[in-house]
Amino acid sequence: MKFTLNWIKEYVDLPTVDPDVISDVLAGLGFATESMHSIEPQFRGVVVARVASVAKHPDADRLRIVRLDDGTAETEVVCGAWNFEAEAVVAWAQPGSVLAGGLEVGEREIRGVNSPGMVASERELGLGEDHEGILVLDGDVEIGSDFGHLVPYPDTVIDVEVNPNRPDCMSVLGLARELAAYYGVEVRPPEISVPESGAPTEVTVAIKDGEGCPRFVAREVRGVTIGPSPLWLRLRLEAVGVRSINSVVDATNFAMLELGHPTHAFDRDLLGEEVVVRRAQGGETLRTLDGTERELDPTDMVVADGSRAVALAGVMGGEDTEVNDNTVNVLVEAAYWDPASILFTAARHGLHSEASSRFQRGADPNGARNAADRVAMLLGAHASGAPAPDAVDAYPKLIDPWAVEFPISEVERVTGTALDREEIVGHLESLGFGVAGTDPLIVTIPTRRPDVTRAVDLVEEVARLHGYDNFPDSVATGPGSGIPVSEQRYRQLRQVMVGAGFHETMSFSFIGQQDLDRLALPSDDPRRRGIDVIRPLREEEGVMRTTLLPGLLKAAANNVSRRVLNAALFETGKVFLPGGTLPQQPEALAFVASGATAGSWISEGRARDALDATGIWEVLAGAMGVDYELRQSSPPAFHPQRAVDVVVDGEVIGSLGELHPNVAVAFGLEGRVAVGEVIIDSLLADPGLWQFREVSVFPPVIFDMAFELPAESPASQVLSEIEATAGEVLEEVVVFDEFSGPPLAEGKKSIAVRLSFRALDRTLTDAELAPIRDAISAAVAAATGAKLRSG
Amino acid sequence: MSDLREQLARIEGEIDERLATATTVADVDALEAETVGRKSALADARRGLGQAPQEERRELGALINSVADFVGARIAERRRVLADAEVAESLAGDRIDMTLPGRRPARGSHHLVTETLDEMTDIFVALGYDIAVGPEAETAWYNFTALNMPPDHPARAETDTLYLDYGNPDDGVLLRTHTSPMQARYMQQHEPPVYVVVPGRVFRRDALDPTHSPVFHQLEGLAVGEGITFADLKGTLAAFADRFFGAGRQVKFLPSYFPFTEPSAEMAVTCFSCDGSGCRICGHQGWIELLGCGMVDPAVFDHVGYDPSAVTGFAFGMGVDRFAMVRHGISDLRHFFEGDVRVLRQFR
Repeated sequence: MKFTLNWIKEYVDLPTVDPDVISDVLAGLGFATESMHSIEPQFRGVVVARVASVAKHPDADRLRIVRLDDGTAETEVVCGAWNFEAEAVVAWAQPGSVLAGGLEVGEREIRGVNSPGMVASERELGLGEDHEGILVLDGDVEIGSDFGHLVPYPDTVIDVEVNPNRPDCMSVLGLARELAAYYGVEVRPPEISVPESGAPTEVTVAIKDGEGCPRFVAREVRGVTIGPSPLWLRLRLEAVGVRSINSVVDATNFAMLELGHPTHAFDRDLLGEEVVVRRAQGGETLRTLDGTERELDPTDMVVADGSRAVALAGVMGGEDTEVNDNTVNVLVEAAYWDPASILFTAARHGLHSEASSRFQRGADPNGARNAADRVAMLLGAHASGAPAPDAVDAYPKLIDPWAVEFPISEVERVTGTALDREEIVGHLESLGFGVAGTDPLIVTIPTRRPDVTRAVDLVEEVARLHGYDNFPDSVATGPGSGIPVSEQRYRQLRQVMVGAGFHETMSFSFIGQQDLDRLALPSDDPRRRGIDVIRPLREEEGVMRTTLLPGLLKAAANNVSRRVLNAALFETGKVFLPGGTLPQQPEALAFVASGATAGSWISEGRARDALDATGIWEVLAGAMGVDYELRQSSPPAFHPQRAVDVVVDGEVIGSLGELHPNVAVAFGLEGRVAVGEVIIDSLLADPGLWQFREVSVFPPVIFDMAFELPAESPASQVLSEIEATAGEVLEEVVVFDEFSGPPLAEGKKSIAVRLSFRALDRTLTDAELAPIRDAISAAVAAATGAKLRSG
Repeated sequence: MSDLREQLARIEGEIDERLATATTVADVDALEAETVGRKSALADARRGLGQAPQEERRELGALINSVADFVGARIAERRRVLADAEVAESLAGDRIDMTLPGRRPARGSHHLVTETLDEMTDIFVALGYDIAVGPEAETAWYNFTALNMPPDHPARAETDTLYLDYGNPDDGVLLRTHTSPMQARYMQQHEPPVYVVVPGRVFRRDALDPTHSPVFHQLEGLAVGEGITFADLKGTLAAFADRFFGAGRQVKFLPSYFPFTEPSAEMAVTCFSCDGSGCRICGHQGWIELLGCGMVDPAVFDHVGYDPSAVTGFAFGMGVDRFAMVRHGISDLRHFFEGDVRVLRQFR
């Protein structure tokens, strides 16, 4: 909401005009300044003069000689404008005066005629853009006076933020009331009197839907002149960013900015005799002032005459009945509309106007008549209009101010500070609230304050005026049980990934169907059953992510396209799958590593592959203390020969391996890409305390074994058989070689392991280990069909 | 026996001269065998001590030991010098320009938003607040209705909400527009008093540009119990500002509006960069708007089954992404979502 200091001063006597102070005071009341700037007159030494006579220039058809009277003497100047004749009152920039842009006016000869100074246009005076003709002033000004006195400058324009619960302060008067309350002075609303004349109005108003329109005031104003508004009014509107249109539209805008109550002016003669306020009918259309033909919804409120809708109520008028250059008679509407109805209509039509933004927050039902009268008064004063007696005021059910019971102790209960009854009452009364009773106070709330209905709302009013910063501070500490285990483990998981060289990324929680196509997920894959976003901003953001991979692969591809070739990235976050009342929203971890591992000048990095995926998982699961099994598999999106499923507690929680080369290409990646995604909810659960395993002080016995087994047999089975068979003395088993091809037969592979044994209480002997070796050999053979090659 | 004494004196006198001719550790070893080894004159002397007259034996023994100690020490000293020289010589060819980059294990990074969110969260953990997290796909009831925004409430329509095509259209499922729904969930699950913060991801219908994103992050806070007042709100949040931005920050509270708090406030803090004098970071305001807060509206207590006449409380919510940007001089929000390693590796 923009206002100027000069404007607001008309309604309240401020103890200071320092804009910074006013801005701070308003911020402290809840109206933070968004911007502020001062307006200085750009001219100096310009005087008001009367055009005594106009004559032709002897040597130029387009110029005239204008004889100016400044009350003491007459002077002839040359002028190129034709928008005035004798007796017009104009601004004479006499020699020595200064115009906008610092132009110094002197005496000069124009086509052989001497011109001491000039008649100024709005643009030359720095008052506007108009340069079509010179500025013609309204009659009632003193000839010879300083023109500067006619311009309400210097001034300061302040734009404050008005919270949506304060429709009353979307007006200069409303803000003046706040300042008056703060400073403890009276607010002075404009004195409104309507110069009625002529025959009583014949307009009738029928409200067909009293819920949508509790009140409708209509005022007929006859014989208006459509022309420019007076200079001060135009300057005032333009200072607050409202374009001056004509005397009628300007009057409605001025009244709205001043009082906060929107009004609308119809061309009376383009409107039928009867005004009907109703809901729109099915199939009804209306072309609004913005030139858009709108299909109306049966829940939209409209103003209509006998035959058609003429305005989308409270939002925008219709083009058919718009005030235009030929308008003579005007019907001014000032209504009170149901806020919810306006809200839905404005939202439905995507049409947000100055009017709708006020009505949807709640205008003052008892301010409607005043607003209509204010417009009628302005039309009488500035458009030579004649308001007809009387206003038509359809207000079937009076909306009264309401009373709120306010126990004084509520102030202390909420703010922690017991304020005096006297202070509390003072603040409430300064806002124009009626206060009765001792305790509880009975507070009567004016209808312009729909936000105040409860005691706690009054606490806020009192606190605002007391000043939030004048309340003491204390720290509220809780009993605190620290960081929950799941959150600790989530942080630990991220820490392990970061420690292993992965960068954490973030992507949006929505993906597009095409991302799932790019992953080549089969049609029955559960990740295909993503939940759609209604009316997404972009098609690529049309479905909730069922997997983190698309976001992550795109991030990896971003790096490749920027020639950052070695990227190890991970992301954690929710994925969304159909569930109960709410979608299932498990936490997932995904990672991708492309290019090479970290190298240096002394040793090159190593190209990444599928084992980087299992490797990081093994480190992570170890750190998190999670038991798991990896099962060779061909999950969608993965290289069919280089992937495993991760099994925890018998459940597949994700897959690891290499990205399918086609999928890599689809996302703009190249080479082998290590990738994995797992649902981590089971990792975040508290695993309980782990128990220490004693370490032996005796030297180890180490030997190797190599098995020949079918190529498709998993190494994991060999290892698990060894672990199951070797007993407690097995300290460690590691795979140190794997190969296939000659000398092995087709379809065979060799796996070599190194076993290390120790006992807690003695040095083991070869003789002791021989039966263990035999048992391992037999067990592995039985489980996998392996043959011991050596060891 | 004077021969022996002379001999001992000679051994002692000659040792330095002889050691000077030893140029390797091996030379020293040979010399050691010769002078103090089993076949050395000293060993012979020690062995012959039994033949010495009884009265001289003790004195001679002491003399032999003293010479042996002296010679041994000289040898050890010479060996150490030569050994050090030999090691130094062998290392000379090992030189590396140690100012070259080391073999660096790969270093990853936490996302700045995660890091900032954790940092903010932990300040409240230290103040005794619990952490709770909640669903991102949320019902309209929790996101709006429970927070005093019934279906016809202007704030509900004015919020740019992303709805999901899911479930019951009467209580639509949406992407939560703030972390505040967890206020209601948490209060339904816990008896007062409650002290909790809720870090999390939130959503708005916005296109991604340098200052807007459809996905961003908030930290919500809630303290409810008997006797919790506006003073607690102010003091607690001022304490937070002090810890997050460094001591000595000034804060101010300005009236504001949120449907779920009454009274409501915006809290601003003096700029951590210019300390209030105005700079680029604070947009020349001297102040940075930190968060929205207020006393929990009694209507919210009604919705979650708390008795508004028995308890009071405060709530607050602050954006995380914008703070992370402001604090680290990041001007474009899109950096957070593109995964560019050149950006990520600047994060710590």
